[in-house]
Amino acid sequence: MEQLITVENLHKSYGSKTVLDEVSFTAQPGQIIGLLGPNGCGKTTLIKILTGLIKDHTGTVRINNEEPGAYSKSIVAYLPEKTYLPDWMRPVDAINYFADFYKDFDKDKAIAMVARFGLDMKQRVKTMSKGQQEKLRLLLVICRNAQLFILDEPLGGVDPAARAKILDLILENRAASSTVLISTHLISDVEYIFDRVLMINEGHLIVNKHVNELRESGKSVEEVFKEVFSYAW
Amino acid sequence: MLGKLLKHEFKQSARSVMLIYASAAAVILFVFFGMLTKITWIGIVGSIVLYIVALVGIVMTLVSVIKNFYDTLYSNQGYLSFTLPVKCSNLLLSKVLVSMVWIILSFVLAGLCFLVIGMNARAAAEGSMEGIWDVLEMTGLKEMLPSGATLVKLLILLVVLVLLTVLTFIGFVYFAVTLANTRLLQKHPKLFGFLIFFATYGVSNAIATKLTYSLPLSLEISTETVKLAFVAMDQSEGMLSYGLGGTIFLALVAFGLLLLTGWIMEHKVNIK
Repeated sequence: MEQLITVENLHKSYGSKTVLDEVSFTAQPGQIIGLLGPNGCGKTTLIKILTGLIKDHTGTVRINNEEPGAYSKSIVAYLPEKTYLPDWMRPVDAINYFADFYKDFDKDKAIAMVARFGLDMKQRVKTMSKGQQEKLRLLLVICRNAQLFILDEPLGGVDPAARAKILDLILENRAASSTVLISTHLISDVEYIFDRVLMINEGHLIVNKHVNELRESGKSVEEVFKEVFSYAW
Repeated sequence: MLGKLLKHEFKQSARSVMLIYASAAAVILFVFFGMLTKITWIGIVGSIVLYIVALVGIVMTLVSVIKNFYDTLYSNQGYLSFTLPVKCSNLLLSKVLVSMVWIILSFVLAGLCFLVIGMNARAAAEGSMEGIWDVLEMTGLKEMLPSGATLVKLLILLVVLVLLTVLTFIGFVYFAVTLANTRLLQKHPKLFGFLIFFATYGVSNAIATKLTYSLPLSLEISTETVKLAFVAMDQSEGMLSYGLGGTIFLALVAFGLLLLTGWIMEHKVNIK
């Protein structure tokens, strides 16, 4: 079957510190993949490489058979952990910006979602609360009909009540053929949507399994995670 | 995509430079008000403020162009810029073109400010400025003024030189900022940015100065004409000569640095 993501022997280091070592995996269209691991294990570095924000690595990375570049960026919707919208931007500016650059961006849906989230189209990012900023960033991503969604800690600053709603939003807005890669610490909240799980430990990919395989032992993904990374506590 | 990049680049950068232009416009109106009402002190104060606005406007524009380049690529906003479905060369080209427009506009604005200062001085002197022509005639300087056709050539030359100088400055700055934000140097990007800029700009200018005087390629400027000469810069009496070696060298280096900047952005970028 055609792979949407192909990573082979990926290696990345910062000076003498190895962040990713011999990481290899593939992802098929339509899968929802959990990218799990303790802080500093290399999750965000892997995501940055997949999205083309880090280029000085060795090994092969392909998105739909192309190296990260202009083409892959046109089919990948990325939600970074960081606040990246400039202070002066308003939802109306951000929506026009995304509509101009991404052919798969659904402007009407975005406008409707601004209202649904209770955001003001004319309010500047710098005057928004943290929660409002997160909603804006999220809607910009989920209003794309992308082939691959990469979400780095999408639930990090969201209250427990809103987490399930956000996950439902992500699921209901993606096409069945699109792949979702979610990096998160909040495993128990998210694991029910995973098809596959990747666990990274000190730069090494130590678990790459379908969730059903993991659950065969009668444990949840979170329990397996705690078992694998028990040294960290 | 370049058109869309230019549109959004103008939108983003206009926020900082427009304040400068708005200030200059307000002061120009203030000076005109002084000229119309013939209130001398308004003209004097306005002229001084205009002089300051003209110089500060250029400096502020340069600072804002550099800051905008850094902020949009290498701060958190880099997550937005570097995930756009465009080639890095296009991203860079849009920033170079928009920066050139703003810098050139700041020079035009400065020129306009000085023109208004001159108009104000002439109005204050109530026509006695014609005396300047008498002084020029007495000192023989009036004969040295170029003819109309030569003046046009000189103006074209001036425009080309200003464009090349601005491109050169942008090339060196963008290269320094980009190189300082690669993995090995990005712990102290501002420090390394300054060091790289002053090192590359300083060395290149030293070489350019030598080439200006030694390379047998210059422009001979007289009151009658401006012509290309394949001789080194000649500053003998009655002859104004401009050595092209240094300018061409700097422009080529800056062009090369911009290509290198695009390559670093494409292959070595490491957004924090």
